[in-house]
Amino acid sequence: MKLTTVLAAAFLASSAFIATAQAQEQVNLTWQMWGDEKDAALWKSLADLVTEEYPNITVTAQISGWTDYWTRLPVLASSGQIGDLVAMQSMRMPSFYSILEPLDAHFESDGFDTSVFESSIIAGLGHDGTQYALPYDVGPWMVYYNRDRFAEAGVAEPALDWTFDDFKAAAQKLTEGENYGYAVQAFDFVAGPVALGAEYFNDSNQFDVTNAGYAAAVGKFVDLVAVDKTSPVFASGAGSITGSGRFAAGGAAMYIDGPWVLQQTKDSVDFNIGVAPLPRGEGESRFITAGSGWGISATSQHKEEAYKALQILTGPKAAEILASAGRALPGRLAEQKFWYDVAAKDVAGTHEVLDYMFAHSTPFRLNEYWNEFENLITQYMPLALNGDSTTDAVLGDIQNQLPF
Amino acid sequence: MTAINDVTEVAGSQKRSRWGSRLDRREGRTAFFFLLPGLIGMVLFLVVPIIASVVLSFTNWKLLGTPQFVGISNYVRLFTADPQFWPVLRNTLFFTAEYLVLNIVISLGLAVWISSLKMGQRWFRVVFFLPTFTPGIAVAIVWMLIFAPGGFFDFIMRSISVEMPSMLTDQTLAMQAIIIVSLWAGVGYNTVLFNAALDMVPQSYLEAARIDGANAWQRFWKIRLPLISPTLFFGTVMTAITSLQVFDQIYVMTRGGPGNATATLGYAIYQRGFQNFQMGYASTIAWVMFAMIMALTAVQFWLQRKWVHYDN
Repeated sequence: MKLTTVLAAAFLASSAFIATAQAQEQVNLTWQMWGDEKDAALWKSLADLVTEEYPNITVTAQISGWTDYWTRLPVLASSGQIGDLVAMQSMRMPSFYSILEPLDAHFESDGFDTSVFESSIIAGLGHDGTQYALPYDVGPWMVYYNRDRFAEAGVAEPALDWTFDDFKAAAQKLTEGENYGYAVQAFDFVAGPVALGAEYFNDSNQFDVTNAGYAAAVGKFVDLVAVDKTSPVFASGAGSITGSGRFAAGGAAMYIDGPWVLQQTKDSVDFNIGVAPLPRGEGESRFITAGSGWGISATSQHKEEAYKALQILTGPKAAEILASAGRALPGRLAEQKFWYDVAAKDVAGTHEVLDYMFAHSTPFRLNEYWNEFENLITQYMPLALNGDSTTDAVLGDIQNQLPF
Repeated sequence: MTAINDVTEVAGSQKRSRWGSRLDRREGRTAFFFLLPGLIGMVLFLVVPIIASVVLSFTNWKLLGTPQFVGISNYVRLFTADPQFWPVLRNTLFFTAEYLVLNIVISLGLAVWISSLKMGQRWFRVVFFLPTFTPGIAVAIVWMLIFAPGGFFDFIMRSISVEMPSMLTDQTLAMQAIIIVSLWAGVGYNTVLFNAALDMVPQSYLEAARIDGANAWQRFWKIRLPLISPTLFFGTVMTAITSLQVFDQIYVMTRGGPGNATATLGYAIYQRGFQNFQMGYASTIAWVMFAMIMALTAVQFWLQRKWVHYDN
């Protein structure tokens, strides 16, 4: 009787111990992400995929707005409160790679091959040859155009290898007073000149924005606004968003943006839209791409679990969900078809244009001062656009303020 | 903030000497414990960050990574090497001067007008006070949409055939746009403040002056204005301080542009600290701004002896 009691007690105790041990294995990962309220359900469904696969792992998304995200991230990182999974955009990688865990060792341990992803974005989410994040989306900057306006003005739709002169001629033909052919945005002074063959860096990856090639290419885009009046001037406060608004309202027939806004643009317009590659210069077409993905925090306590979760979040099923919702053109090549079938369904030429652009992609050269450069373009370029200053003087001002 | 502290400090120190003798030690100790929660809060959230920012201003902290002590090189860079510092300082002072004068003149004018009304005084007070409790960012966003190229303002100007460049893309007009928005948001507070002060002016003084043959103009300059001068002084000091710190409107409407036309100290701190992650350098600018505000406030306190009349 006594022995039975002891055995029973021992059994109870051990089962309690096993239960606690199991409970301890239960890992909750925090996932630092940006986005709108409306995307919350989408991220939740991705997080649920992880728990479906690994019942002991739960992922909780912490979502903040895009601008706040980048202010919060370094603060969270330096105060040790950063989540286990961290969203990262390719253009910010040079500033933030140090807070992320290098993934190469993890890839080796499970033999993961990154060639299932589009190669330019794999490069974009690495730094100095080390991979720090896996992508969920990718895309080049391309020209969105209003097909109805093109038809009305009798302008032929853009060819895949159209030149800057073709682009300019179209913009001029499409402009009628306040009804512009084109709406320039701040980032056009990065993607545009690169497509024309110009470089904003010198050979040692430092800013050299006053070099003749870049200045000439920027000058071409400035002239579209300052001389030919085919585009309105953007205000420094909203340099990166005004073009999309004008385009959606029908006040500008072309503007430049990435595939990440395609679904949203399509929903907000009441005309037919098409996409075209950026115009090229004398030489071959070349395009920069950007995208975002997720990495593991360098200070995470659960790196193994985070890596497992990362594989699911950037896996085929998650890519299919995001693509079918139109949220992202997947970085995974095989799942891109879901995006083409849904988001790009009624948009002329998307598949051919993106195939062409990926085939002609060029590495997006970045350094840790990239964000400053973009801000300076937004702040200073309006002076050249409204004729208060010259392109050379503005680029000189920008160069002066960049650390070197 | 500093000004309020200074004002209460001055008033407090006079009282404390009289009180201090009456309080015995035990009461002092009890009082200390009662004040402790507030004191801890103040030390934790005010004193420590202030000291931390002094220390930071001598480092090259980049938010990520460990800070390194760099001596006074941040200050040297600010005053000698940074091409943006002097334009930024000039913009800040220009904004403060224009905004301060316009704000005081307009709010005083409105306050006098409201106090002269036979009816509807309360209604107007509420109307003018409304912007004060509207969030600054929301105000700035709405005004940005109004002033945006091709926006409502441009539309109005075009329809009355006024040819002018768009406000936010023009180097001179952009600052004026910021000032207009700041006035819209800031005038109401001072209006209510001055209006309340004007209502406190004893009617008997004004009647006596009227009987002596003083006209409305003389009554305003010789009686009402001197009597509300302490309130006017408070309003001026507070407005000067907030205008030296201007940030929200610039952040939303112009981001310091076009060029550096609207870049002010407050915006420069944000830009260096939270966009470029140069926390050490941003702290340096913050301390220069603090010194400037202190100096300006001190000058105002010194000047008040010339024009502020206290009843006692």
